[in-house]
Amino acid sequence: MTPNKLHFIVIDDSKLDCFIAEKIIRNTGRSETIKSFLHASEALDYIRNAPLATDGLKTILLVDIQMPVMNGFEFVESFDRLPKEKREDYIIYVLSSSINENDLNRVRYHTSVRQFLNKPLTSNTLSAMLDMVH
Amino acid sequence: MSKSDKIKILYIDDEVNNLVGFKASFRMEYTVFVAPDTIQAFDVLEKNPDIRVILSDQRMPNQTGVQFFEQVRTLHPNPMRVLITGYADIEAVIESINVGHIFRYIRKPWQEVDIISAIEEANKFYVTNTMLSVKNEELQKAYDELDKFAYSVTHDMRGPLLSILGAVDLSKNIDDINEIREMLGMMEKSVLKLDNFIRSVHEYYNLKRGDLHIVNIDFNSIVTDLTDMYDITRKMANIRFVTNVSQKEAFRCDEMYLRIILNNLLSNAFKYNRKDISDKFVELNIETGNGSSVITVKDNGIGIHESHIGEIFKMFYRATNEETGSGFGLYNVKDALTKLNGEIIVDSKPEEGTTFKVIIPSK
Repeated sequence: MTPNKLHFIVIDDSKLDCFIAEKIIRNTGRSETIKSFLHASEALDYIRNAPLATDGLKTILLVDIQMPVMNGFEFVESFDRLPKEKREDYIIYVLSSSINENDLNRVRYHTSVRQFLNKPLTSNTLSAMLDMVH
Repeated sequence: MSKSDKIKILYIDDEVNNLVGFKASFRMEYTVFVAPDTIQAFDVLEKNPDIRVILSDQRMPNQTGVQFFEQVRTLHPNPMRVLITGYADIEAVIESINVGHIFRYIRKPWQEVDIISAIEEANKFYVTNTMLSVKNEELQKAYDELDKFAYSVTHDMRGPLLSILGAVDLSKNIDDINEIREMLGMMEKSVLKLDNFIRSVHEYYNLKRGDLHIVNIDFNSIVTDLTDMYDITRKMANIRFVTNVSQKEAFRCDEMYLRIILNNLLSNAFKYNRKDISDKFVELNIETGNGSSVITVKDNGIGIHESHIGEIFKMFYRATNEETGSGFGLYNVKDALTKLNGEIIVDSKPEEGTTFKVIIPSK
């Protein structure tokens, strides 16, 4: 059985990192759609206004931590305030170059964050991660 | 010694004659405040936080000197405390040391030399203590910045590096030369970002550690340099650069600091331009007169949102995603201005532009 397709949203203030993530995601063959946002607030608006999923497909959110204006934590906190049925369409992964203990602990504290991933994103990490998503 | 340089002291005694005598004896050497009771003494301390030495009589109707000092210690911890008493029993001495934490104990009737020696010694202590607390504050600030710094280094230095690493890894499996070129372009930006960050760190270090080297400033030659420096940036982004220098008198300042300020303000003005308008400009006005220079950097760029203006001078703060900011530039500007006793005023509207006005006194 071929694994389910997924929607992807990448949130990162670095254009290059968005580009890399998109490429790697496309290579997995699991992507139904991929969207990138350089501003977390725009991604949040997009998610807020999107209709509930009717195709039964989950959306994977890859969120960077350190971004100007609205950082990854602020994004997750705002996301947590969205209606439950909306949130159930999404799975959040935090992606960062941070090696700061506080950041890592803060990620663990957020129950809505599935996992913390180190940058740079590689095909191996992404494949391993997606194997756990059905 | 001018009046303001005199050491400020406060003497408390319930016998008004003593107060008058004390003031008469020491008003030449010191700025003397007196109070007939401890309530008025607190009032004086409230109004004169720079009083360095408090001398108090022990026996007073509503409160003893020791009780008063015990209270003073928590409310005004800085001044040194000297107790004056005619009844020198050992219990009172022990209590005054243990409870009142006094610096000296003087017996009544006092000798002028004893009082002067007590004040002079107390003042030495006071000065050392205050210097120590100032140094401690500086040290704490330095530690806080170091923390922020260490945190930011992982992001601002690792970030671009990891982006490049990811791109290198990815490009191993890409055959399309155009795609590779596109990625190289983005990798170049990451390298420039990292380089920009390292330069700012260098500036930061220079500002923190450097002493001022005051020289005569020739604004015309600085502006000529800046015009050359930004010529390529200006042409590539199609921005008019208008400069105006009016230097009517000599201006003395640290040239490196001045250049750091000008450079950061100008590079921001050029960087955060509006891509969607045709007549883009950056205006630099420098006017020197009446012992100071007023520098204005004005642009019609993207502007700064009201809610971010209060934050822009903070270290590593970035109000926008546009362009490759390090979050260091304006912090360095503010730091340089603090050392030059200058000030900066921001006026900005989103989508209309930003004006930074800097005022620096001549040294």
